[in-house]
Amino acid sequence: MMKQIVVAVDGSDVSAAAIEQAVTLARQRHLTLTGVFVIDGNWPDYIGNDWQSAKGARQGFLDYILKEQEQQAQAAQTQFQHAVAQLPNSHFSVMAGDPTEVLTGIACGADTEVLVTSKRVFQVSGRPSLKGLAKTLVNKATQPVLFTP
Amino acid sequence: MSVQAMSSTGSGRDSFFTKLPGALPGLALIVVTMVVIKMWIEPWMAVTKVFGMQKPLTDAFHLNYILLAIVFGLVYRNVIFAGTIPAVLADGFKLSRLMIKTGIIMLGSLYTVQAIVQLGSMAIFLIGGFVILSIIMVLWLGKLMGLDRSMTAVLANALSICGVSAAVATSPAVEAKATHVAYAIATILGFGIVTMFISPFIGHALGLTDLQYGAWVGTGILNSGQVLAACLAFNPKVAPGTAVSVGEIWNIMRVISIPFAVFAVTVWYWSGRKGEAQQGQQKSLGTLLVEKFPVFVLGFLVMVLMTSIGAFGDAGIKGGPPPSETIKTLRLVMQWIFGFGLVGLGAYIDVKELARAGGTPLKIGLIVGVTKYVLALIVVFLIKDMLVSI
Repeated sequence: MMKQIVVAVDGSDVSAAAIEQAVTLARQRHLTLTGVFVIDGNWPDYIGNDWQSAKGARQGFLDYILKEQEQQAQAAQTQFQHAVAQLPNSHFSVMAGDPTEVLTGIACGADTEVLVTSKRVFQVSGRPSLKGLAKTLVNKATQPVLFTP
Repeated sequence: MSVQAMSSTGSGRDSFFTKLPGALPGLALIVVTMVVIKMWIEPWMAVTKVFGMQKPLTDAFHLNYILLAIVFGLVYRNVIFAGTIPAVLADGFKLSRLMIKTGIIMLGSLYTVQAIVQLGSMAIFLIGGFVILSIIMVLWLGKLMGLDRSMTAVLANALSICGVSAAVATSPAVEAKATHVAYAIATILGFGIVTMFISPFIGHALGLTDLQYGAWVGTGILNSGQVLAACLAFNPKVAPGTAVSVGEIWNIMRVISIPFAVFAVTVWYWSGRKGEAQQGQQKSLGTLLVEKFPVFVLGFLVMVLMTSIGAFGDAGIKGGPPPSETIKTLRLVMQWIFGFGLVGLGAYIDVKELARAGGTPLKIGLIVGVTKYVLALIVVFLIKDMLVSI
């Protein structure tokens, strides 16, 4: 199985430092670098969306938040592509779900050589529980995780 | 790049009947939980002796099936399932939350139009005053503490009207970021959970009547589900004149004010950004009324009208004939439906999210929330002779 370096990217300054570290690692080990942005799929549950709410209130909000996250995914992709311009093998992937669960899954994936992530990744548009993402990764990851501030 | 995360993870657009089969395992667990609570735990609490005290769980701690339902839901999510409801049960737990609003629609059978006018005219002044006071207080504190203008706008409506509904209704109009809304929601839900549990004790300790208690928590607690839980925890009876019949009228009056408050706060937000190109979705009051008016309130009003024309027989309003068998059955069904919904409400409380909320939004939330909660109690005491029971 081909191993890869994975870096969590959110388009913010904190993820720029993580990408820098990940690029260095990918070069040293001659591995593919994959950038990952996670669209938070927990919003409907978080706001308790249902059909008895107002016609345009909760669903309107979810559409609004999805648009914001798509824009952020775009910013993350731009940031990643700019940083890996000189790297031979790199991919960018947008995933959906609970960011903590998605990153934990990657950190336990057999094809993950190292997961590189800022301790504050996804907090720029996230729910309060994402502050505990790094702690969850420390407790649950089975593959190496490199944290940047 | 285009992604469809929200719709693929259940945006709420799926119909009730599409979701039902997948929801059955979760709903089954909730039903079994309520049957155990109602058939075994509650009767056991009513006779049990602890440290020589007769019935302390019900008499001293005022524990009843409502509080137990919430506690069970909380324990399911945060202890047994370690923070995440398993996928096989998740749809059932989500669907159970619908039952709270379904129950509130059925609560319309407790009132006639005349009773609604009587209670509503009292509620409108108290609720109106508190909504305006809270908005002004948050806007002032937000400025004082240097909080972001859009975060202040979201928090103003979230703390003034109806928690989550108001926060999400306001956000697009004031360009709020996802994180602003997330922190506003965590702040109001955290405050609401504490008040939901302590209010019944305070109410009993102060010897409040159902009318006074309902008026107080209907004004002081923000979330529809939490108002309902706090009222039923005080008096689990569902009938005209009980805490829940009063508290929910107060709550509905506040919910109705959402479009007006969204309009007012949006105007405030953009007034401070004169000269800038408007990116948000500022809309007319008419559009907001259509888009933001809660569907369940319309259902509630239909039930009131049907009760008033005698569609369910005698409603059992004070001074009138006793309730019909249909009305009695409706009230029994409501007790169970609320129980199911409140297990779901408990399971909706994610301790991780609430524990990590903080910063200026939490400070403002606590200041305004506590002020409103205490002030509402004082006002209810001051006007207690003016409150009219139904």
